[in-house]
Amino acid sequence: MEPIVRTEGLVKAFRRTEVLKGIDLAVAKGEIVVVLGPSGSGKSTLLRCLNGLETPTAGTVEVNGIRVDGDMKPRIQQARYREIRRQTGMVFQQFNLYPHKTALGNVIESLLVVKKMPRAEAVEIGRRLLERVGLADKCDDYPSRLSGGQQQRVAIARALAMEPAVMLFDEPTSALDPELVGEVLDVMRQLARDGMTMIVVTHEMKFARQAADRVVFMDDGAVVEEAEPAQFFESPRSERAQKFLRQILQD
Amino acid sequence: MWMDMDLLWKNLDFLLRGAGYTLQIAVVSMFFGFFIGLAVAVARLWGNGPVRWLAKAYVSVIRGTPLLVQIVIVYYGLVDFGITLDAFTSAYLALSINIGAYLSETFRGSVLSVPRGQLEAAYASGMTTWQALRRIIFPQAARVAIAPMGNTFIGMLKETSLVSVITVTELLRSAELLIAQYSVYMPFYLGIAFMYWVMSTGFSAALQYIEKRLSRAY
Repeated sequence: MEPIVRTEGLVKAFRRTEVLKGIDLAVAKGEIVVVLGPSGSGKSTLLRCLNGLETPTAGTVEVNGIRVDGDMKPRIQQARYREIRRQTGMVFQQFNLYPHKTALGNVIESLLVVKKMPRAEAVEIGRRLLERVGLADKCDDYPSRLSGGQQQRVAIARALAMEPAVMLFDEPTSALDPELVGEVLDVMRQLARDGMTMIVVTHEMKFARQAADRVVFMDDGAVVEEAEPAQFFESPRSERAQKFLRQILQD
Repeated sequence: MWMDMDLLWKNLDFLLRGAGYTLQIAVVSMFFGFFIGLAVAVARLWGNGPVRWLAKAYVSVIRGTPLLVQIVIVYYGLVDFGITLDAFTSAYLALSINIGAYLSETFRGSVLSVPRGQLEAAYASGMTTWQALRRIIFPQAARVAIAPMGNTFIGMLKETSLVSVITVTELLRSAELLIAQYSVYMPFYLGIAFMYWVMSTGFSAALQYIEKRLSRAY
């Protein structure tokens, strides 16, 4: 099957430091890919290159048939990425909810502004999405009144509003108190069961093991190993993956 | 001195008219200064090289020279270039340009105070830069800007007294005309000081009200 997300020879350099050193990745529709790796390995940068929060220095990014090349003019890159962003949702480590808008206001903002949807229609979709993440009763609350876990679930609902073909999760539980991690992962598991294509950067090994179709292990700006979770966690092939897992399991 | 106080009451109409001009000059200059400030802040934040340099130079020159000098340059100096402006126009122009420079810094700082993640979240949801600024960044920046902006406005209200040197009959010059006529100082100076105070306080109260309303939301 034709992949819905693909990168070829993706390179990202900040000044002279290469953070991504030629990434080839293909994600099929409906697939759950978890990206693991030590901090600074380029996981987040890879994710951010997919929707243009970082632009590639070289190589190709293709999402849902929209292609961005590293050697395109910046203006064209930006225009293509704007198309891509309309078809991808992103969830951030720090939630990044709009503090001046209610939970519902956060969810429907892109519908109103980007899709120019009539308010009544947007509100209906927004309420349904908040219900889906278990926050039907928090529609009118501002983010400052919500717990971290609730905020992140609102952020997921917000990312779902544009009916994305792909959801990108950038360490969605890393900023949460341990007791709040579960509720966010539950929503993500539900989303996975509903058939959403998901690329998840995380340190939650249990989630990776249970929910992922495939684990991509990165180190030092390169994909070192790709495997099904069972195989990756039981018998990682590369030495670096073995070392990484040993360190994680020690905690 | 105290028996001269009735001179103040007798000339109250005249002074109140001066106060009216003071208020008028302040409000008009703030109005135009506000938009100059916005434009210059945008130029400094998102302009290309030359635009940014120009905006920076403007702010540096205006903040680095006395307002009084700016006023006399506009009124007397521009005549040398064949531009003759009447006193009121000169006052509006000089004060707007001045207040615009200060406000641009306020606006720039308040935009920069909004966390980077806000813009990223807006981008990630498909917004253009302008949509993100208008819907997400500016509303949050406005809340930060309102207090320093109020200070600038109150400062400006008092600095309008400087345009008395170019023959605008605002509050201070009204008093000086009366002083020349009666040869008594204190009643008039005290009278206008009180009027400035009332106007400043009224301004503060109005701004506090706006600030409260803006922050009530979240």
